[in-house]
Amino acid sequence: MKKAAVALLIAVALCALLAPAIAPYDYSRQFRESPNAPAGRQFLMGTDDLGRDRFSRLIYATRFSILLAPAAAAVSILVALLASAISVFRARWAEQGLSGLTTLSMSLPWIFLFIMLRAMLPLNTRPAVSILVTFGLMGIAGWAWPARIFTASIRQMADSGWLLQARASGVSPRRIALVHAWPHLRAVAGAQFRALLPAYILSEASLGLLGLGVAEPLPSWGNLLAELQHPDRVTDNPWILAPLGLLMAVMICLEAMA
Amino acid sequence: MTAMPRALLKRLASRLLMLAAVAFAGGFVAAAMVRYSPGFDSIPEDLDPQISPATLRALHEQHERANSLPVFYARYLARAVRGDLGVSQNLRQPVSDLLRRRGPVTLRLMLMGTAGGWVLAGILAWIAVWSRRAVVKTAASSVNGLLLAIPPAVLALAFFFSEAPLSLALALALLPRIFGTLRALLEDFYASPALLAARARGISPGVIATRYILGAGAPQLVALSGVTLVLAFGAAIPIETLCGVPGVGALALQAAIARDMPLLCGLGLAITVFVTAVQTASL
Repeated sequence: MKKAAVALLIAVALCALLAPAIAPYDYSRQFRESPNAPAGRQFLMGTDDLGRDRFSRLIYATRFSILLAPAAAAVSILVALLASAISVFRARWAEQGLSGLTTLSMSLPWIFLFIMLRAMLPLNTRPAVSILVTFGLMGIAGWAWPARIFTASIRQMADSGWLLQARASGVSPRRIALVHAWPHLRAVAGAQFRALLPAYILSEASLGLLGLGVAEPLPSWGNLLAELQHPDRVTDNPWILAPLGLLMAVMICLEAMA
Repeated sequence: MTAMPRALLKRLASRLLMLAAVAFAGGFVAAAMVRYSPGFDSIPEDLDPQISPATLRALHEQHERANSLPVFYARYLARAVRGDLGVSQNLRQPVSDLLRRRGPVTLRLMLMGTAGGWVLAGILAWIAVWSRRAVVKTAASSVNGLLLAIPPAVLALAFFFSEAPLSLALALALLPRIFGTLRALLEDFYASPALLAARARGISPGVIATRYILGAGAPQLVALSGVTLVLAFGAAIPIETLCGVPGVGALALQAAIARDMPLLCGLGLAITVFVTAVQTASL
């Protein structure tokens, strides 16, 4: 089961990486003479209402969604790790301040936090910027939970005898962090990363459906799912469900791996 | 006063203090966002061509002094305590009125969805742990895995178009989040000698569930119920927006799209206080 999940994820990641070679057309190319075309030899999954090839858009959407979600998770882990390390090693008040800040962040449902942050951005945000903003904000908004876990782990480490001995022996903070502390935190970071990754993929999908995610004409799983708001089209062209199917397959694979 | 109530009171006091601190900090963030939102620094006199640049500069300085962040926050907080969260720029209505009208709609959806989620997750967890057949256990876990893979917004659309109750969509969105904890709790108990002893004495499964499992797991279950309500609010936002339910979630998205900062911040403050209060009550 696990091997099959890994194989499928590798296949999807390869498709995403090789998108320009696999996709028959550019994701934004419009075939204005054939909007809402059915699936056929020219358009494997048909076209959307702007005449864009669904298959090409799905391949590129996979590229954006599957490559940027890990980046967002990495941002969350990095922010959480830095904040926790600084707060634990600086002063007691800093640790308490961080604890209050995580409580405040966790008091707001993340989607509401995201809505608030997104509302502060200008209306004329370019599509390329929107993709970075979407995943960047997700990365920043999701820092609180990993920060709690890291703070507890780093606090435990800071009180340990081996760290005291390393500091007493004059080992530089950089060496302590990279050579001694990081191997202890790596497993925690890995677990947090694996927990955040599916959450971010789902979050992007929900945001895309609400129109707050990646801006058109850039494709993402979220904005492709927006077509599901027209159920009459689904009966005409069931390939509209393909992004949902792929999203669910990836999510199930990630769960199987976890 | 015995040691137990004193410890309980101390814990309660610390939680209330935390609630006040979070509300204070949440209010500050909200006030700062309104204060520095685009357009806040403009004054009506900006449009008057008869006012000289020097006068305009003086008016702007006066406006800035009167609305410096600490002053603005103090005023915002004083009004918020009286229940005045400002006026929506987009809807031209008091934020507190909008919250009063929309809040019950969201609360009803959340409560029904949460209750449904708990019942369904409980049944599924019970099946997954109690059944001796591997096929049944795998099926229960697969249902959970499948629901975890579907975005709540897609579930909402499916229920909306099939005219099924939206609270059930919310329940199914919450189910996987509750299932894991319930299953772990049941598995722990299933492996415990206490259960073996109870079963050996012929105590019925119903009594075991209500008296022993719910009793032993009450602290975790109460804590999880607080977290579930927060998750329910998060899941209610896309459900309300996509399905046209006139609740707080849909209002939040409307405010974000219209860049209606007073409304967004009023909602933020109200939600922060509500969520922290729920968490405080459940801890």
